[in-house]
Amino acid sequence: MGSFQSLPDDHQYRTLSLKTGFSLEQIAILHNRFKQLSQNEETLRRDDLKTIQDLESNPIRYQIIEAFFDRRNFQKDGVGSVEEIGFEEFLTVMSYFRAPAHHITEEQREEIRRAKLRFLFNMHDTDNDGTITLEEYRHVVEELLSRSGALGRETAKGIADAAMLEVASISVGPMAPDEFYEGITFEHFLKILKGIEIETRMHIRFLNMDTAVFCKQHSV
Amino acid sequence: MATYLSFQIILTFSPLFSLFSTLQSSVFHFSQRFTTAVPESCMLILLGLVLGAVVLIASKKQPYQLDPGLFFLFLLPTIVGDAGYFMPARLFFDNLGAILMYAVVGTLWNAFCTGFCLYGVKMAGVIVNAGLMDFLLFGALISAVDPVAVIAVFEEVHVNETLFIIVFGESLLNDAVTVVLYKVYISFVEVGPGNVYTADYFKGIASFLIVSIGGTLVGLIFAIILAFVTRFTKNVRIIEPLFIFLLVYLAYLTAELFSLSAILSMTFCGIGCNKYVEANISQKSRTTVKYTMKTLASIAETIIFIFLGISAVDKSKWAWDTGLVVSTLIFILVFRAVGVAGQTWFLNWFRLVPLEKIDQVVMSYGGLRGAVAFALVVLLDKEHVKAKDYFVATTIVVVFFTVMFQGLTIKPLVKWLKVPRSTNRKPTINEEIHERAFDHILTAVEDIAGLNGYHHWRDKWEQFDKNYLSKLLLRKSVYHKSELWEAYQKINIRDAISVIDQGGNVLTSARLSLPSMASRTSFPEVTNVTNYLRENGSGVCLDLQVIDTVPGAKIEEDLETHHVLVENLYKPRRQYQSHYSRHFMTVGEKERQDREVFQRNMHNRLESFKSTRYKRHKKDRNPVVVPMAPEEDKHDPPEPDKDDDVGITFVARKAPETPKERPKSAALDGCQSPVAAPPSPTCGEKNLPWKSGMGSLPPCVSVEATKIIPIDLQQAWDQSISSLESLASPPEPQHPRVSAVSSLGGPVWTPAKGKSGAGSGSNTGSPSSLQFKFPTGKEDEEEGTLSQRQQEMQALMSSLRQPPPPATQSAGKRRNPCVYLRSLVTVPPSGAEPQSRKPTQL
Repeated sequence: MGSFQSLPDDHQYRTLSLKTGFSLEQIAILHNRFKQLSQNEETLRRDDLKTIQDLESNPIRYQIIEAFFDRRNFQKDGVGSVEEIGFEEFLTVMSYFRAPAHHITEEQREEIRRAKLRFLFNMHDTDNDGTITLEEYRHVVEELLSRSGALGRETAKGIADAAMLEVASISVGPMAPDEFYEGITFEHFLKILKGIEIETRMHIRFLNMDTAVFCKQHSV
Repeated sequence: MATYLSFQIILTFSPLFSLFSTLQSSVFHFSQRFTTAVPESCMLILLGLVLGAVVLIASKKQPYQLDPGLFFLFLLPTIVGDAGYFMPARLFFDNLGAILMYAVVGTLWNAFCTGFCLYGVKMAGVIVNAGLMDFLLFGALISAVDPVAVIAVFEEVHVNETLFIIVFGESLLNDAVTVVLYKVYISFVEVGPGNVYTADYFKGIASFLIVSIGGTLVGLIFAIILAFVTRFTKNVRIIEPLFIFLLVYLAYLTAELFSLSAILSMTFCGIGCNKYVEANISQKSRTTVKYTMKTLASIAETIIFIFLGISAVDKSKWAWDTGLVVSTLIFILVFRAVGVAGQTWFLNWFRLVPLEKIDQVVMSYGGLRGAVAFALVVLLDKEHVKAKDYFVATTIVVVFFTVMFQGLTIKPLVKWLKVPRSTNRKPTINEEIHERAFDHILTAVEDIAGLNGYHHWRDKWEQFDKNYLSKLLLRKSVYHKSELWEAYQKINIRDAISVIDQGGNVLTSARLSLPSMASRTSFPEVTNVTNYLRENGSGVCLDLQVIDTVPGAKIEEDLETHHVLVENLYKPRRQYQSHYSRHFMTVGEKERQDREVFQRNMHNRLESFKSTRYKRHKKDRNPVVVPMAPEEDKHDPPEPDKDDDVGITFVARKAPETPKERPKSAALDGCQSPVAAPPSPTCGEKNLPWKSGMGSLPPCVSVEATKIIPIDLQQAWDQSISSLESLASPPEPQHPRVSAVSSLGGPVWTPAKGKSGAGSGSNTGSPSSLQFKFPTGKEDEEEGTLSQRQQEMQALMSSLRQPPPPATQSAGKRRNPCVYLRSLVTVPPSGAEPQSRKPTQL
């Protein structure tokens, strides 16, 4: 346990830990990974992420990589994207995938849910206009299907259109003939994903986190 | 020999029993009060008790017993096979860690603790005298949670999926542990406790590994064989289900033969093959497999529970020992609870979604014992296990207690604890999409974070599956379809069926099912959207303007009704072939008609796409009118200048006499014509419901067309619809059977006489009367209705029509839709229709 104490930027780690909710040990591990990815640079670029071997087969890798460089994911009212990110931003994006604590109130849960969904929403809303338009949605589906090759594009369009229709019928209900559905807003996005317990699903297990939580619980 | 006899008796009586009990259970199903309060399994056991008592009183001797041979060879496999095959694989593997933990560690814990503690109680002198090995043996067989009981109870409780899969998966997988422990102890008991050496314990552990892993492997091998076989059954659809039953059962028997865990083998065979087999076999086979398996499983379940009841009555088979019964009950309950709590505490370190206290309570309480334990205890050899009768009695009590008492109370408990229930909702397309997206996102983040977690490995497996397994095991035609596509397809089929269920009223159902997605402005380039949809045949029509503007006016309704009637009231007139084959089923009469109606509707929807596409593509070359009168135009006074609109061309022609000349349209015509329709597979396959789409049914006219069609063109619309029906998707210049229509010149709409006369009537080409030509390939019957329809329509339309005022051409340009029409309905390119057509200019 003492390993990270001796690290020079221990103080910085603590600040980050408070900010992102990761344990110090996780931060140390992620920092190592960060340095490995950035080849010991201070900042990480898109190309660094694109070189990851395992990512190559991932159909939506570009969107994910984009998400790491999206200002909206760093602070509330950020706009646009950046060319390179520091470790703090890296951690901030990662923290979207942190599992929620075991005991939280309903409000906290809802808040986490919103944050996670916001992240997803931003990922799909590439032009940052507050709605996922049909084009954007189609793009997502297309990429999802791209691994299945041949059937690809046309099907993707069909599915995206059907999905869009569904969103319209779920979120707006019957519309007058001259109305039209512009795209999925965040509110509608919340609505259509009501059935998925995203707060308990959208997370990965960061190493040692559980033991850390466990230790904390027992030390209290 | 005696066993054989009793076996015979059982076999003879089982059909009777199953009939009887199935009746009973269906009665239970009907009676709401029973089923809400009492699980079926309890009722069946009670019924068995009553039956057993009756038989016992009548014959003084109990002829029926739950025979272990029957149980393990026939009853158990059906239930396990059903469970394995329909196991939600994703959920199962997501929770595999927990399941294995409970199944192995939990069962071992229960078995040893119960065994040793009973031995302790025996040392205290309270209960029957038996050796340590005997108690351990008993502990082993009584400790395993029983799949049959768990399914029977939990399927009625509807707890959430995770909870169910954990308990149920545990009950399936702990079989290996139970069987091994049981066999090891039996051998220990047989050689006598004194002769057991340390090495034997290690052998026991080794045999556990062999039995469980071996069983799993056998299952997986059979799964691969089965999937591979179904890849080639395209021409022998009727035996597809047979293959599945046989091979799954063979997996069970093979494992049993090698003394491996048969339940594990069958379970994994089912889980493994399901994905590929379901993709390979036909829809009908899928249904057959599903219902046969479910039916067999519930019959087996029913028989088991009834036999349990019956066996309990036979007093000669068991001996009562209160101490043993009570202490066993207490021990199994306590150790189950303690075991679950301990393991969950451990598991929650690693689980992403921790198991809550409530879940643990349900899991401990849901540890039902059942027929497996009973069969195992009956199998004991009285020579070696002296206390067998006591054990039998205790097992019966434990089974009854867990199934009856716990089974009865678990539902209120679940309600009281507010355990999250399962929602039996089908995921929407959006949810499907996002579920897939999640998987990839999480994998990607794990990769970026440099962690080789669960998602990472699952992704690796999926790649492997995609690159090798699926290639080997899936038909080529299904290989390229992704799961998302499958889901989409399913949803589309569902929608299509619901449309049909609504009475097949195309227009109405369109209004219901697609509340105005509406409008051309909805997407950046709606024309492209609709185009895409048409081109790829996918199911959505975003352009529903047409329906939305359809007025509720009487005339419109009449038209609609009429249209629907003509389309759907359909008297099939076809030749029957008496045909019998065991291996090839002909389509049933009823079914054929159903399908025909279905196809017809789908066809219509498809047509509406085609018509628009046709127009869109051909408007520069080939005159086609597909007008649809928008509301506003309808109530306007008729356009003043249509009479003089010179640009409009009427084309009438003699239709080709032979249907061969239009091969492309034949398929589509088939849907129209009774003779061609049923056998032609093209109808079914080309007009696949999901291709023509969810809400596309209305006469979905392209945007331009909807804008400007005057009322008078209503007839033309109707005409062109019907003529378009005969048009294949891409209109071919060789058979331009569509006649342009507009009523401009003709003050009177003349129903074409020639039409009813099987297309023999000549086209007059006279400016004042219009002729509509239909291809002769159509059935007379149909033509009759068509002309009839026109007459009717004409009556309707003429009432609306007013004397057309004269107008100049410039007037037409000013505001007249016909101007627009002219661009649609231009003079046909002369080369296109050489002889068969007579363009007539007004």
